[in-house]
Amino acid sequence: MTTGLASLALLAEFPFESVYVRSIIYVSLYVSIIAVVLSTLVSVPIALVVGFTDIPGKRFIKSVINTGMGFPSVVVGLLVLFAVSNQGPLGPLELVFTKEAMIMSQFVLATPAITAVSLAAVTSVEENVRDAARSLGGTRLDVALVVIKEARYGIATAILAGFGRAISEVGSVLIVGGNIAGSEGVSKTRTLTTAIQLEARQGRYETAMVLGGVLVAIVLLVNAIVVRLGDDKVMG
Amino acid sequence: MLRADSVSLAYGDETVVDDLTLSVDSGEVVAVIGPSGVGKTTLLRLLSLSLEPDSGRVTFDDTDVWAVDEDERLALRRRVGMVFQEASLFDASVARNVEYGLRIRRQWRERFREQLRSVVRLNGTADAVEDALEVVGMTEKIDQDARSLSGGEAQRVSFARALAYDPDVLLLDEPTSDLDPRNTAVIESAIETARNSGIGVVVATHDMNQAERIADRVAVLLDSDLTEVGPAKAVFESPEDERTRKFISGELVY
Repeated sequence: MTTGLASLALLAEFPFESVYVRSIIYVSLYVSIIAVVLSTLVSVPIALVVGFTDIPGKRFIKSVINTGMGFPSVVVGLLVLFAVSNQGPLGPLELVFTKEAMIMSQFVLATPAITAVSLAAVTSVEENVRDAARSLGGTRLDVALVVIKEARYGIATAILAGFGRAISEVGSVLIVGGNIAGSEGVSKTRTLTTAIQLEARQGRYETAMVLGGVLVAIVLLVNAIVVRLGDDKVMG
Repeated sequence: MLRADSVSLAYGDETVVDDLTLSVDSGEVVAVIGPSGVGKTTLLRLLSLSLEPDSGRVTFDDTDVWAVDEDERLALRRRVGMVFQEASLFDASVARNVEYGLRIRRQWRERFREQLRSVVRLNGTADAVEDALEVVGMTEKIDQDARSLSGGEAQRVSFARALAYDPDVLLLDEPTSDLDPRNTAVIESAIETARNSGIGVVVATHDMNQAERIADRVAVLLDSDLTEVGPAKAVFESPEDERTRKFISGELVY
């Protein structure tokens, strides 16, 4: 947290850049949060289905999830860029170098991580708790809601882990977003990570440090919440 | 009221329940006794309408449960309560646990509104919840975290949870086998209360003394086979079946 305070202090010394920095923070948070929210809406149902039903291809889905966790982010960026480029299937939507394209690639990156951790969390909910919900008159949906509630801390950890991966990711957002800032210094698709690499390359180390401090503060805060949830011994 | 008629069920090659017939009426306690692993739990699951028999029929008020559509079966299933050997309480307060059966029977719109109210702690406790907890002597712990209860207390709450939505049938699977004598006595008296309020109770137990204390009728389940079904007194004092006699006298050891 001291890093966060230090970076705030640094920020105060560069008033001329505050609009620039603030807009970059905004883009980073906006893209990562939207991507993680969408990813959660997909991941948790997948985890429930894979965890508790006998659908065909379950092993295949699990191996896709595991492979997805280690998938190189630049390749994800490249694939999303192909998809949204003029010749790609999503070409007509004109999404190249937009926040929406960045959200898409962050979504692809975060989903396997969130699904894998959610899967571990929901499958750790004891069978007798599910039996109890069902025996009390619960429908399949009621039982699923009980499982989500019982696994809430594990799922929260999954979401935060996905967010951590999304916000500190640089390769894919650079490719699909293009690291663009407007003429008044307002970020369009420039995130903390892509800005840091640009500022450092151009020798503006103070700005790079400020941005780095903000990024580290955000990641530390998220990790602190994850550790706190784990410490409470309430997972699963 | 609730009746399993010549039901059979196999898991893979292993026949767990073989051509059994058992029924329970309002206001009676039926004890299913027999050694562990003989199919008592499976029989109860068939009666709880959560398992479909391979053959035979399960009827509830003369409705063939597995011949009707899913909505109708859910409505029938919701008239049954079940308590397991392990309390299996949810990670929430005692009140929220006992309330569960009532809550899921409400409309989604109402459930959503309640969820919002519970966030700002505006919800009171339903009378049915307090009444059910009263039966098992747990009203004082209503606001406690369910996971902080002792094993006996948790089982009592689990009983109240199945009682709160006023089921017509209560199925109890070895409800007291992990409990000390005091908590066992509380559960047995709660079974009595349930019976007196017109609920039909089926209790699986390996404790023959308990069966004799609480049951109106006793069914003896040996080797996936009901060897004897009858009034408790008759079964214990003058069993007709040779295997039952040996089991009751302790000659037959499993």
